[in-house]
Amino acid sequence: MNPTLLIGLDGATFTILDPLIRNGVMPFLASFLERGVRAELHSTPNPLTPPAWIALMTGRNPGTHGVFDFIWSEERGSEVYFTLYNFRDIQCETIWSMVSRQQGRVGTLNFPMMSPPPEVNGYVIPGLVSWKHLRRNIFPRQVFEELKQLPGFSAREMAWDFDMEKEAAKGVPEEEYENWIRFHIRRERQWFAAVRHLMRTRPADLTAILFDGPDKMLHMGWRFLDPDLFPAQPTSWEARIRTLLHEYFRELDTFLAEIEALAGPEARIFMASDHGFGPSREVLRINTWLAEQGYLTWRQVEDLAEDDRERYRRLIDRHFVLLDWDRTTAYASTTTSNGIHIRVARSEGGSGVPVAEYETFRQELIDKLYRITDHEGRPVISRVMTREEAFPGPNNLRAPDLTIATRDHGFLSIVNREPVLYRRPKVEGTHYPVGVFMAAGPGISRGGSLGAMQLVDIAPCLLHSLGLPVPSDLEGRVVEGLFRKEYLEENPVRQGRPTVRPDSYALLDHHTLEADEEAQIIKQLQALGYME
Amino acid sequence: MAAGTTREKILENLVQILEDMTADWDMELDDPIGEATRLMADLEFESIDVVQFIVAIEERFQRRGMPFEELLMEDGRYVDEITVRDTVDFLDRHLGQ
Repeated sequence: MNPTLLIGLDGATFTILDPLIRNGVMPFLASFLERGVRAELHSTPNPLTPPAWIALMTGRNPGTHGVFDFIWSEERGSEVYFTLYNFRDIQCETIWSMVSRQQGRVGTLNFPMMSPPPEVNGYVIPGLVSWKHLRRNIFPRQVFEELKQLPGFSAREMAWDFDMEKEAAKGVPEEEYENWIRFHIRRERQWFAAVRHLMRTRPADLTAILFDGPDKMLHMGWRFLDPDLFPAQPTSWEARIRTLLHEYFRELDTFLAEIEALAGPEARIFMASDHGFGPSREVLRINTWLAEQGYLTWRQVEDLAEDDRERYRRLIDRHFVLLDWDRTTAYASTTTSNGIHIRVARSEGGSGVPVAEYETFRQELIDKLYRITDHEGRPVISRVMTREEAFPGPNNLRAPDLTIATRDHGFLSIVNREPVLYRRPKVEGTHYPVGVFMAAGPGISRGGSLGAMQLVDIAPCLLHSLGLPVPSDLEGRVVEGLFRKEYLEENPVRQGRPTVRPDSYALLDHHTLEADEEAQIIKQLQALGYME
Repeated sequence: MAAGTTREKILENLVQILEDMTADWDMELDDPIGEATRLMADLEFESIDVVQFIVAIEERFQRRGMPFEELLMEDGRYVDEITVRDTVDFLDRHLGQ
């Protein structure tokens, strides 16, 4: 197989990368784009890490792969039962499995929802896993012991720090900005040291590494990096933060250069982000609005038993929604889902919307959402998508009934606070729907821009780069113009048999199914007289 | 491993899971992990650790979809503490089904 690398840059956008390239902060990326191609990469309807990266890894959209958020929730009694999505919730085959079962070796580092780790022909170091559980979630476990021997290795620094992320989700205080950036510089060094070691000791046909620092830097640092927003006369502190952010991207650029050098001249390198980024100036408090409209009733902490009050105050502080379920018909359970769930009555006469009235209820709610305006009468919501529109597919039942895109793409707030539309005191970065794609290497076109791509196109492109057929049931395609014409004439895109169900790789006897399939097709063609 | 698993076997497996899980946590336990061990008070579990514990149990016993909310919630409210014994009782009830 032709060596192929996937470098994930979580949240990367050309809005920021282009100025960094122009300013000489990312010289490697500049040369990479001169030698290769770029494209706008469109994310999933809710541009969020888990559904988006899994769309990239599977070549399927969320309605098929079945993951819509970091967590999913169900009503249980008077509370909502939350649990984290994990690898076993992915309803279709990942590219790691597609390559493994065709005897290719894969190495994957820091991709989300990869725990418990799937058995692959290679190794898996999952992302979004606390240091306390990292060792147990690496496949094979021996890899963790190898990493421990690396100078300066720290599982605490490399893995996901839930306490820190929880605090960051509330907004990093300005006095913490410097520490936050330096922490992520150290964190990326850990991941780079890991991938460098593994590329040397366990070379793979498909190596994939995700750097998630860009997302963290852009959430907190957008106003320092966006040339349109950075003040002409910055304070010394603003200048220092911008310099530090540049230091992060400068070091990331050196990692990219070293990874390419390690991969060697034969390797094709693909870079992609799960979503883009852009400025957010306001927050829509959707549950406050739903309460105002009579769809939702809050439960007050004071109404609870005294023993429970302190615990609930802590939960609410962590963005828990305390609702009177009997008097609630629509609510948002997480800020990251950008979605509204409609409570459908479970039995006749039970609380919630009767099944027969669901469609009418939903349409009325959509119409009202479009009528939310700012103080100048301008609409705040740019699009409301039903579950079927946003996530068509057989595995969309956990998706919200409605998915909302606001005019500045900001995440919805779910807290019980006035006013409904809140103007941020300072611009923050938020997820935008268009991310980045870049590629270079033998057979890749040089120095141009491709048409718009979808996340589901990445898996077919990677498979073709490896020299493998593209399964017939993938939802993406090998995009036009990515590979040079002469290369494609010699190496036409081959369609292969459909993907296999998740986890099947471990059960297969590691045979080359594609070869078996081809033999079978040849036999059939011979039997029909089309082939001798 | 599922139907017919004895309480002793369940306990043995849970202790193995917890010992493996907490091996890097730099904790000094007064007593070895056993039925009386409290996940929150003794092992300093946080909610994310409970999630990992459940996944590890499902993997070990090769069973998904058990109603873990019965273990984690009581009368529609999250419980403040879970013991290894609670977990053994829960699995003893559900593994045979």
